[in-house]
Amino acid sequence: MITTSSKLFYGLGAGALVASIVWFIANDGGSIGSVALLFAALSLVFLGAIASFTRDGHVLSTDTASHASSGAAQRGVSNSIWPLGTAIAMGFVVVGLISSPGIFKVGIGLLIAMLGEWMIQNWSERGSSDAAYNAKIRNYVVHPLELPVGGALLLAVIVLSFSRIMLSLSHQAGPLVFAVAGAVILAFGTLVGFRRSASPRVIGAICGVALTALAGVGVATALDGERAELTKAAEEDHFAHRPCGEEEEEADEDASRSVSAKSSVQATVILEDGVLYAEVDGFEGAQQSITLQRSNPSTILFINRDAEPHRMVVKYGKVVEDLGGGVERETELEACTSKVEEDGQQAVTLTVPKPSYASEEPFEITVPGVEGTKIDLVVP
Amino acid sequence: MNKSPRRRIMAAVGLLAGLAFLAGCAKDAPQDTWQPAGPNAEQIDNLQQPVFLVAGIVGVIVFVAVAFAVIRFRDRGQAIPEQTHGKPALEVTLTIIPVLILIGVAIPTAGTIFDLAKTDDTEMVINVTGQQWWWEYDYPSTGSNAEAYGVAEPIVTSGQLVIPENTKVLLRVTSRDVIHSYWIPKLNGKKDGVPGRVHLLRLEGSKPGIYAGQCTEFCGLSHAYMRMETVVLTRADFDAWVANQLKSYESPAEGTLAAEGESLFIQQCSRCHQVNGLTNADGAPIIAAPEQYVVSGAAPNLTHLMTRNTFAGAAWDLLTEECRDDVWNATAEDFGGKYLAGVSAECLNQKDLREWLRNAPEKKPMYADPTKLQETNGKYRGMPALGLTEDQIDALVAYLLERK
Repeated sequence: MITTSSKLFYGLGAGALVASIVWFIANDGGSIGSVALLFAALSLVFLGAIASFTRDGHVLSTDTASHASSGAAQRGVSNSIWPLGTAIAMGFVVVGLISSPGIFKVGIGLLIAMLGEWMIQNWSERGSSDAAYNAKIRNYVVHPLELPVGGALLLAVIVLSFSRIMLSLSHQAGPLVFAVAGAVILAFGTLVGFRRSASPRVIGAICGVALTALAGVGVATALDGERAELTKAAEEDHFAHRPCGEEEEEADEDASRSVSAKSSVQATVILEDGVLYAEVDGFEGAQQSITLQRSNPSTILFINRDAEPHRMVVKYGKVVEDLGGGVERETELEACTSKVEEDGQQAVTLTVPKPSYASEEPFEITVPGVEGTKIDLVVP
Repeated sequence: MNKSPRRRIMAAVGLLAGLAFLAGCAKDAPQDTWQPAGPNAEQIDNLQQPVFLVAGIVGVIVFVAVAFAVIRFRDRGQAIPEQTHGKPALEVTLTIIPVLILIGVAIPTAGTIFDLAKTDDTEMVINVTGQQWWWEYDYPSTGSNAEAYGVAEPIVTSGQLVIPENTKVLLRVTSRDVIHSYWIPKLNGKKDGVPGRVHLLRLEGSKPGIYAGQCTEFCGLSHAYMRMETVVLTRADFDAWVANQLKSYESPAEGTLAAEGESLFIQQCSRCHQVNGLTNADGAPIIAAPEQYVVSGAAPNLTHLMTRNTFAGAAWDLLTEECRDDVWNATAEDFGGKYLAGVSAECLNQKDLREWLRNAPEKKPMYADPTKLQETNGKYRGMPALGLTEDQIDALVAYLLERK
């Protein structure tokens, strides 16, 4: 017997079969697409057969007593927020189509999520006459998706808000806020740990208020903008990492890797009392020469102990590029820190492609504006 | 006669235990951490011997107790005994004893760790750089290296690290590509070489000889072929080694097979391999450009190849087995002379070197397939097959034999 829903599956199956044949002919026997469509056709026909066999799960039309007592007949679908969510998601999609691909993608994601939730609510709330059972089967299906995605979103809100706050704070206030926030979280966790009788609702409410406050402050600081030196650095294009720019003051260039880069360096170059010297692990005292391995990413840390801001410049030869047609371009190889304030430090990582003895110009480290002092760079 | 399953299991366990026990009787075990040959390794040995003893005793007690419980209280259909929970005195005792044992182990362990991390008494510094799949050593010509050990110019070598005996050498270990790990078991523990970072490892050998090691961080296809050796020489022999490494380049005599090899080397090999002092027809120095051809940006410096006993990441010997044994088994007094003699024509391991020159990737897998260069932006991870003829290999071998 061909039931209502089996017609749909049989129809789709037939369509897939036709598409498979068309694909096979149109692609000169291309097999992957036609095999995929053939499998789709078989799967759909199989589903149609199941629908036929179970008669769409309907009770007999003549069995009116069953109609009256069936769970589905007893309960309707309750009010739902998902149509509203779907409308908002559609709004994102439309706005995104006009304005930016990012918003469009977010809208598509939201649309899929809203439609999914809507569909599952409709399905689960018609499952039986028992609301608790319906909620259970709904959660059974949706929780494996909802919980990780919700957790990730929550984490993203926390991380994003916290990062906006930290970027807006000054160098001095940042570590302080970080330490205080950490201590407060630790104290709260300890308190909860010791007071096991504390109501989960109270704890949840406190966490909710804290999260809302964090997100609120995050949004406010994001609107207010980053701290002054970062704004200035962005204006001066520090983050383009072009060699030896014209920036006027220190910025925490490439800050994301500075902690690890500073922890294990090839050498530390120090400017003190108008003299440049290096400290190298294993060599005793101040060094006037550093040996770096060829073709090896090497990090040199610069510490400025002078009252004025200074920049360290590493010169390591030049490269000649063949531009074709007998034209060559010569580029001087150099790496610099941005300007470093008194007692500040900044790491620079460079890879020297050629040995120093292959260059006519010496490889050296200098500080512009501080004459008569340099460090030789030896690359064997 | 059919044996019962239990007997078979017992026999298998006994066999495995016997094999594990017999493995400790290996005669030729150059990477045996239980045979220290320097103060750093001795410190580790002095720590691990008692710790191993304590761990062994605890292990035996635990195994015996478990075996006793399993056999004595096995299910024989008896009634389940009365279940009790909590024996404070026993539990406290069983907590305190391990704590005391761990404290007893932790104190000397911490002391040893701090001792091994000392660098303020360093006498010589060597940069050690790992890359797939060989180690490079360069001796900076500054500080005590220059003042006390005559390293007037930087020395670059590979495969074998040469150090003077009873000298506190500090290795500055790093890597050009992926994480590697430097380990000479008879001289010290291991230290990772991490790209962009410099890790320090002390090395000191108290007796002349060769000490073998192996990269101990899985680093790709040919990790197993990334070996290394540290050669300890007497101070006089080390000075002679340094003097030889600083010796100027000498071209082969004109018209010889080695001279043909030099031309071929300039055409084929000098793109990646540096030979210091090698010049082109105009007299300009030839500077290798491995950064253009190799992913790691480096290839072994071959200036004094035949002063080493190994090649291709110390995976193969340059010496024949007989000559190798002669050097490795030499007495402390004779060792330096035999090592410094380098590789002679009679002692050259022609077989492996020729196989290497004929088709290096076949001998040591290095992703050196020219059809897959797109994946590495046109660069090799190791030496490719150069398609050399047998005559060309003859000439190259003759040339390389003079690189002493």
